[in-house]
Amino acid sequence: MKKLITYISFIILASFGLYSCDLFDVTNPYVTEDRFINSPQAAAIWMNGLKRQSSLTVGTVVEFTELVSDNYFNNYTQSSKVFDFPEINYFDIDVRRVQTSIHLLLETARFGLEKVLPNDPEATAIQEAECIFIMGYAHLLAAELFVAMPESPNGQVLTPTEHLDRAIQYFTQAQGKYTAANDQLICDLALARANHSKGDRQAARNAAARVTATNPSLLKQVFYGTQSGPSNNFQNAIFSGTINQFAPLPRLDFLDPKYFNLTSVIVDDQKPISILKAEEAFLILAEAALSEGNIAEAKSNLSRLITEVIAIRPVTQLDDSRETRNGGNRNDYPLSAVAVRFDSSSPWISGLVLDRQAGKINAYSVSGTHVTVSDIEEASSVDELLYLTYLIRQEVFFAEGRRMTDLGIRFPISELEFNNNSNVNESHLVTQLPTFIPLDLEMDDFSVDPNSGIVTIRHDMNKVLIANKQSNLVIPFF
Amino acid sequence: MKSKTTKKLKRHLKTKVYLFLALFSMQVNAQSITDKRIALGKGSYDVSQVMESISKDTGLLFLYAERPSGKLLLENDEMKIDKVLKQMQAQLGINAQIKGNQIAISKTNKVRELVEGIVRTRQGETLPGASVRVKGSTTGTVTDMDGKFRLNVSPGDVLQVSFIGFQTAEYVVNNATLDIILMENTSSLDEVVVTGQGMSIQKRRLSTNVVSVSGKELEKFPANRFDQLLQAKIPNAQIRLTGGQAGATSIIRARGVVSAFVNSTPVIYVDGVRMDNLNTASTIGGGGAQSAGISSLADIPMDNIERIEYVNGGAATTLFGSDAANGVIQIFTKKSGDGRLSLNFGTEIGLETPTTDFLRFKRVEDLLFQNGLYQRYNLGINGSNSEGFGYSFTMGYLNSDGVQIFDQNKNDRLDMRSGFSAKLGEKVVYESSFSFINNRFKRNRNGNQGGYTGLWYTESGASATTGPQPRFNPDIDNLPEEEYQRMREYVRKAERLQDNEIVVNRFQTSQSFTYKPLESITMKAVGGIDYRTLRNQVITTNEYLTHTTGNLTTNQGSISNGDRKFWGLTLEANAQHRMNIGEFSFVSTFGGQLFRNEDRQVSYVGTNIRDGARNIADAALKTSNEVYYEVVNYGVYFQENLGFKDKMFLELGLRGDGNSAFGQDIGVQYYPKVGFSYIPTFEPFFEDMNWLSSLKLRGNYGVAGNFPTPFMNLRTISFPGYLGEQAAVFGTPGADLRPEKTSTLEVGMDFGLFKDRLAISVGYYNATTNDALFRVPSSPSSGESDAFRNVGEINNKGIEVSMNLIALQKLNQSLSFNLSVNTNKNIVVNSGGSAPFNINGFSERTVQTVVQEGFPVGFIRGSKAIFNDEGLVTEVIPLQNLGTTIPDLYGSMGLNYEFKSFNFFANADYQRGAFANNWDSQFRYFYGAGNEGIPQAEIDQNGRAGWLNMTNMFIEKTDFIKVRVIGANYVIRANQSFFKTMTIGFNVQNPLNFATSSFDPEATISGSAAGQGGATTGGISYATYAAPRQYIGSVKFNF
Repeated sequence: MKKLITYISFIILASFGLYSCDLFDVTNPYVTEDRFINSPQAAAIWMNGLKRQSSLTVGTVVEFTELVSDNYFNNYTQSSKVFDFPEINYFDIDVRRVQTSIHLLLETARFGLEKVLPNDPEATAIQEAECIFIMGYAHLLAAELFVAMPESPNGQVLTPTEHLDRAIQYFTQAQGKYTAANDQLICDLALARANHSKGDRQAARNAAARVTATNPSLLKQVFYGTQSGPSNNFQNAIFSGTINQFAPLPRLDFLDPKYFNLTSVIVDDQKPISILKAEEAFLILAEAALSEGNIAEAKSNLSRLITEVIAIRPVTQLDDSRETRNGGNRNDYPLSAVAVRFDSSSPWISGLVLDRQAGKINAYSVSGTHVTVSDIEEASSVDELLYLTYLIRQEVFFAEGRRMTDLGIRFPISELEFNNNSNVNESHLVTQLPTFIPLDLEMDDFSVDPNSGIVTIRHDMNKVLIANKQSNLVIPFF
Repeated sequence: MKSKTTKKLKRHLKTKVYLFLALFSMQVNAQSITDKRIALGKGSYDVSQVMESISKDTGLLFLYAERPSGKLLLENDEMKIDKVLKQMQAQLGINAQIKGNQIAISKTNKVRELVEGIVRTRQGETLPGASVRVKGSTTGTVTDMDGKFRLNVSPGDVLQVSFIGFQTAEYVVNNATLDIILMENTSSLDEVVVTGQGMSIQKRRLSTNVVSVSGKELEKFPANRFDQLLQAKIPNAQIRLTGGQAGATSIIRARGVVSAFVNSTPVIYVDGVRMDNLNTASTIGGGGAQSAGISSLADIPMDNIERIEYVNGGAATTLFGSDAANGVIQIFTKKSGDGRLSLNFGTEIGLETPTTDFLRFKRVEDLLFQNGLYQRYNLGINGSNSEGFGYSFTMGYLNSDGVQIFDQNKNDRLDMRSGFSAKLGEKVVYESSFSFINNRFKRNRNGNQGGYTGLWYTESGASATTGPQPRFNPDIDNLPEEEYQRMREYVRKAERLQDNEIVVNRFQTSQSFTYKPLESITMKAVGGIDYRTLRNQVITTNEYLTHTTGNLTTNQGSISNGDRKFWGLTLEANAQHRMNIGEFSFVSTFGGQLFRNEDRQVSYVGTNIRDGARNIADAALKTSNEVYYEVVNYGVYFQENLGFKDKMFLELGLRGDGNSAFGQDIGVQYYPKVGFSYIPTFEPFFEDMNWLSSLKLRGNYGVAGNFPTPFMNLRTISFPGYLGEQAAVFGTPGADLRPEKTSTLEVGMDFGLFKDRLAISVGYYNATTNDALFRVPSSPSSGESDAFRNVGEINNKGIEVSMNLIALQKLNQSLSFNLSVNTNKNIVVNSGGSAPFNINGFSERTVQTVVQEGFPVGFIRGSKAIFNDEGLVTEVIPLQNLGTTIPDLYGSMGLNYEFKSFNFFANADYQRGAFANNWDSQFRYFYGAGNEGIPQAEIDQNGRAGWLNMTNMFIEKTDFIKVRVIGANYVIRANQSFFKTMTIGFNVQNPLNFATSSFDPEATISGSAAGQGGATTGGISYATYAAPRQYIGSVKFNF
């Protein structure tokens, strides 16, 4: 018995000995939220995170909405296989991706505003303004892209108009906090866009006019690059990747690629994506004028847009000889400089499809259009000018994720939100797809004359838009 | 001299007088006296004490010429006097006869003679260490290293010869030399096991089922890797390799799937030391989740194994606490030989051919596959000496070309293992084992790796949309020869240019001290480590990219390295006390165990690198990343096993665990168990039922757990960087996580019929996992990433039957069959309101295997198309249950025939009731490589664009019977020659597959979408290689 007691004592002592040493400790390699919030420069670092998220959100929006629209076709097996149709289901992971990316932007900004900035004595008013502005931008995207969306985590579902109201409220609030004139003007541009979407002609016009009057080359972009990112996925899909994934509608061929690398270290040469640019102010003013039947004002705005804005945007001489449109799903993309017509009843136009083997091409990293001042001058009716307005909108905002909204298409709320958020009902799971939108890949479809190689686009979607301008889903001022 | 003679004479006279008196007083009525029982209990007594007791109880007087002395062993309590007297004769040579009220005592005149003998198996193999004992006495010995023994016995004595794993034999001594043959034991009641019990314990005392497989059994079968070695050998578990490439993930599961969080791979211990058992892709450097991952089970050394024990969950694993809900496999290595130095050398040489049974296009065999050479050599040295020092050392080398062209799946492996045992004084035994393995293999691109993969290009029909221009008709078998040659050239170059290599170096050791301070107390301390490093290097050249994409690429060549270093430490100390009080026996076990794992993963990638470079030094851009997991688990356990009359047993156990991965407020977690076992065949009323040789009833309830992923309980911030600057974003959302706990209720019986010729084990289990960790998908609006939370409940229930039939058992030959039948019903009872989440597959839009309330874990979810009579799709219903991936019936079967030194064997396993998606076929449909059963009318009207809407048309049953091995061995014994034995063998591995699916039902992308170590059930067949067929001849020498 005595021995037994000795052994047990030994075990207990040994256990205590073990307990006191490092055997029980683990090293946590992560920074906890509490530790971060109370650390120096938390606000500045969080703002970088917010910028990063802005870039990622825009990248996601651009990738998927460009496929939905007539702008790009997914010629490869990666990324969405059905948005081109367009077939948009609430349970599609890509719907969730887009929705998540917008909420993540909103919540990152909100967390910065409510948790990080108040704890950091070095936080500035500008950082506060930036958070508020981004919240506004997130609401703007929610309004433009979704049939409805919660306003907060598992919160109430807001209609696009309600989101636009939130966006307008935040843009106005941010404008008051920014001190630099340019920042304030960006808020005007954002307000013009939000009010345009909302259909508030006067408010949109006022804001847009401030932009065109003050800084016709105003531009706000999100940035990409460096190994740690964020990276411009769309650039990868249209230029930098080893596979030719996305192919543009042949009549927009001359605008592709908008994003490209000139140096061999791709991650360090990632082009920014514009999220607000002065072009929009001119286009809004033109649309507003046309909605009032004021052709002259519209012409003036569109001409100024071409001569004062688009003409001064950068143009890069680019070697794009690697582009062979050989993604695989369609093998008949034109590769030589052939004429194209916008539909079977349109005239042939040259210069829109490029021969990329013939030398360097012009690449427009901010804006480009084939519409000329004389085209504008020649137009005489509201519809002709409205057609040109929407054609320029398409070309100027090409690869910027705006076309899907102009076509009146909106994503449903995702299945996952529906499963988690009791405020979401089944009506929110229905995609907004106007009846005039052709299905079965027809928006991206074209035919190639087997002899001459000339290309006929199946549908001129701008014509379709103008024909349906009275629809509540498109062209807000009509 | 004189006085001595006088003394002798006197003694002789005295004896004569007593004998005379005894004979004279012989009376009737002796019978009633001999039926009386003595008051002494079971145990060893001085004979005088026994005599006193008899006198006291019966009033009989002992008469003797010389007072007897010596120890007498009473085998039972309160034995009849008649029996006691017989024991006196048997054990001490004392002749006792009752005459009236006296018992006359005399020494027998039996002459004790020296006999010699040898103990062998039926196959002629000698058995060192066998126990040889004169029945009914304490006289005995053990056989030496050559299986020989010498013993003094009396003519007519009966020798009892026993050895673990063999039936005890009885021989009447009638010759001076004895050749004794022992038959294998089929009843395992007296087998001693360790796993899940703290220390060794007899199986009869257990309420749970512990499967043990001997090293000898394992050596018979060829295998490329450890888990394959166990395939079809563990009756109640399924072991499936998800791919045919070296290192592929295996899906090991028993009793369904208890967790939707962690992979179903059991925890693996080698000599008490916990191993790295990662069986999915790792976070960095270990394959892709959507292709075949890289399994750490593939590089556990297979040589020098004494035995393997397996417990499949429930009460059997309770003492492992927070780490064992999926069961435990424990490997015990050899640490000693059977005496003097013994040398073994073995070589296996054979041919590997691709398993082409499941290929859709015949020409794919020519495009992607080759025949390869397989060779394996091993050398073993072992021995021991009489001072208790033993050693066993093996070294093995395996080389296989693989069956993919350009040796793109070749495998080189060198492994060494040594074991030592030494007696340190009378009471302490030291044992140690070391192993080292170096494994280097190539892997081809497979599964959903993005870009070109050989099977995707050929079998899935992607040649229609990618590769050289003009594209091909993807119906390869119908390509014109010229076209085919063009494709062949393209494919061969694409295969040749791949460069994906994995190198594993692994070191393991276990050190243990066993201390036996008293006969009744055993104490043991074990410590050891498993250190495993893996380097996965993928070289992607510009030439490869240019070739496979068709686009000239000059600046995107890359070298991607992923290193994973796993370091696991295990410390365990325990003590066992055995005690008998009357009819009761107590085995008390108390112990503490600690293990800590450190898992550090680093990637270092060079991009924009020149073709030809093999390290990243010259890359224009270099990047790196790191992941670190660390966890420590510590627990104490106690188990009491109470026995009554050696036939009724009650088990009680409890383990308490702390773990660094638990949330801060979780505290110590407890795992209780309780069980009983009862062996009614030891009851007198069963004595007449000769046909029933053994019966054991058992039942238990026990809890075991799985601890959460380290650091997942923290709410963190991540810093991914923004244009080269620090940037902060949301990290893990954090939750106070506790282990998921699986409570299992189990009842069963094991019985043997006709002298155990037919042994059957039948059991029913019902296991519920509470607090199941579910990867709760966050709502998009939360802005949070998905997080594990203890919200789920999973239930598995089923029946487990295994049987072994010895159809023939003679000295020269035997024939036996084994069969196991298991059923399982799996369901997610409750998901705590969380949304469904996937564990494998692609997106909701395509096909996934999903965890959702009301369905089995990992059921296939996808779109269901309804066709009308004309063959047109009339309705598409998304997110439908298209079938479970967990079989409801599975098991294994085998046969073994021995004729003298010849041995023929085969085994197979099977499953029924599971389904899988044939993604290759779905792609073929999409790419126009075939209609794949879709009505022509639908294609004519809508084209193939709706290919994702009709996933239900690409679901197939995956019932199969696969013959894993057929083989034969012949042993030549030649003691006079330079070798002792030579074994010649021939085996075919994976010779026959019978499946209801058109694809290999096992070769599925391995999944674990939740990341490293995540749950998977397979279920999607996509661009995955089937395990090759091997024809292997072997020669083994024993010197």
